[in-house]
Amino acid sequence: MFSQQLINGLALGAVYALIALGYTMVYGILQLINFAHGEVYMLGAYLGIIVLGLLTAAGLPAYSLALTLFLTVLVSMFFCAAYGAAIERVAYRPLRKAVKLAPLISAVGMSIILQNFVMLAQGKEYKNLSPLFPSEGFTVFGANVSPVQAFILSASILLMIVLNLFIAKTRIGKAMRATSQDRVMAGLVGININQVISVTFMIGSALAAVAGVMVTLYYGVAHFFMGYLAGIKAFTAAVLGGIGSIPGAMLGGFMLGLIENFGASYVSSVYKDAFAFLILIITLIIRPSGLLGQKSLDKG
Amino acid sequence: MRRYAKYAFIMFVAILSSLGCARQDDNVINIGAAGPMTGDQSKMGMDLKNAVELAVAEWNEKGGVLGKKIVMLAGDDQADPKQAVSIANKFINQKAVALVGHWNSSCSIPASKYYNDSNMVMISPATTNPQLTLQGFKNVFRVCGTDDQQGRIAAEFVLKTLRPKKIAIIHDKTAYGQGLADYFKKAIGDKAEVVYYGGIIQRDPDYKAVLTTIKENKPELYFFGGIYPEAGRLVRQAKEIGMNIPMMTGDGVFDPTFISIAGKAAEGTYVTFGKEPAGLASAQSFIQKYKARYGDPGPYSIYAYDAANIILTAIKETGSTDGARIAEYVSKTTFHGAFGDISFDTNGDVTKAPYVVWQVKDGKFQQIQ
Repeated sequence: MFSQQLINGLALGAVYALIALGYTMVYGILQLINFAHGEVYMLGAYLGIIVLGLLTAAGLPAYSLALTLFLTVLVSMFFCAAYGAAIERVAYRPLRKAVKLAPLISAVGMSIILQNFVMLAQGKEYKNLSPLFPSEGFTVFGANVSPVQAFILSASILLMIVLNLFIAKTRIGKAMRATSQDRVMAGLVGININQVISVTFMIGSALAAVAGVMVTLYYGVAHFFMGYLAGIKAFTAAVLGGIGSIPGAMLGGFMLGLIENFGASYVSSVYKDAFAFLILIITLIIRPSGLLGQKSLDKG
Repeated sequence: MRRYAKYAFIMFVAILSSLGCARQDDNVINIGAAGPMTGDQSKMGMDLKNAVELAVAEWNEKGGVLGKKIVMLAGDDQADPKQAVSIANKFINQKAVALVGHWNSSCSIPASKYYNDSNMVMISPATTNPQLTLQGFKNVFRVCGTDDQQGRIAAEFVLKTLRPKKIAIIHDKTAYGQGLADYFKKAIGDKAEVVYYGGIIQRDPDYKAVLTTIKENKPELYFFGGIYPEAGRLVRQAKEIGMNIPMMTGDGVFDPTFISIAGKAAEGTYVTFGKEPAGLASAQSFIQKYKARYGDPGPYSIYAYDAANIILTAIKETGSTDGARIAEYVSKTTFHGAFGDISFDTNGDVTKAPYVVWQVKDGKFQQIQ
């Protein structure tokens, strides 16, 4: 039972962690909470269903499941990255020098626009996806790991490693770190700030797209409102881990998934959503900067 | 300040003119149709609305009723009790004579008070929670069975055919789901051990935590009181954690969408529901007409169709649009509906409620009893 709940929690946590990364990266650079990020995740889920539908019509899953998944994730990532960059360009860049509340309100507005756009374009009904993976999995330490769970865990861990390498090793990764430390100074030494910010949004959105595709594969449903709660939970995960910290978002995501699962199984399944927020409140009281967050030097 | 005054004036005019649009036309008879027409249970609401629309169209072709044209008003309650009450008030304002609806027990029960108080007749095609007709409302009826009957039949089937020693019971915390789960539990009594009893959150995508707890208690069967979106996710995730025991559930799950969400995991699920209408001679004309207009009828379409016809027949026979007179006629008459003969007892329930057990086999619901 414990090991099974551990696996369930980790799979759920991986999804939260992928979304939380987008929140934390944007916050690290702009000190902006991008409330439209949950909607990008929802767009990823819808794009996943659309692409899978097209590929299924073309008969690809029967030929190669791995290739189908790869293409689905890739196309969804690509479109969501474009959405992310466009959201930044349209809703945040014009307000970058405005008072701090202005981009926040713009983010909430963007979130409402995207939700309603999907509702009008795709309908209010739940979109169902018949199971793509076989439901029988394999057993590890008494826990049943389904193929979807294995896919979610391995793909998200792989992505997180790639992201860490990208930020630590590449030129643009270095520019991102510099921008998050001091945006003005980074600009003065010749870093193209706008480009760095665009890339940050694109990476965050592409990760959210992967999370969206994974969730539809996992649960078989998507709807236009799904980004709201997932977004809030991922934001919670980012704050729990310490907003602005990339390892913090990953830790926070996994912890949140585990807390929800253990809470639901050992205490009460009815109060599942409450556990996440309860833990958040306790963490913020004891450690306001989050688990791995650094004490803010107060940039303004 | 003057600028705001201007906007306020425009708003005022806009509100006035919209009120003007809602004014009554005395040459029509309004019949309401209410159910969840958007959201995850939207198919049920649309099935209901389509069936009422079909009945109304047939009557209008024959010249309406009492020399007036019949207009169907559609109300989307979003499966939300608050919304259901506001739909009820809307219909009352529009002077609707009667209503076919609502679908969910949690909507029908709070809304029924408003219909009854304002002398409208309410016939629910799908609300199975016994409470609906136990409130002493003269104007409230239903054409389907009730959950105490359903829970009893499910329990009898389980005890006689499957004979499990341990059973788990889950519900979705709604008036319907929890009600049904409770009646099932009561009917099981001490003939099997209930090793788990608890609720889940509707719309939550992940039920693995609760399923893992259930699996740990090693039941041989689990009962779910709830609707098909949750049921689909439950059986799918149960198979994923290696829980290979059958689910027994109620009429709220009886829809092909359940099978499309769950895929192969749906196989073997037992569902209590009414008899197959496709075999009934009286239903043939309805099925053909419905198919031609909207595609395959939903599980509750035929009930909604009969409910609409009962209302319109009563209006015609009494020559009145007075709710009390219509209700009195409905309660005393045997109607020959598409689903067979329908008559009501003093509470407003149908006198015979034939639930049978179905099972999902080869991707389809099949009657096994």
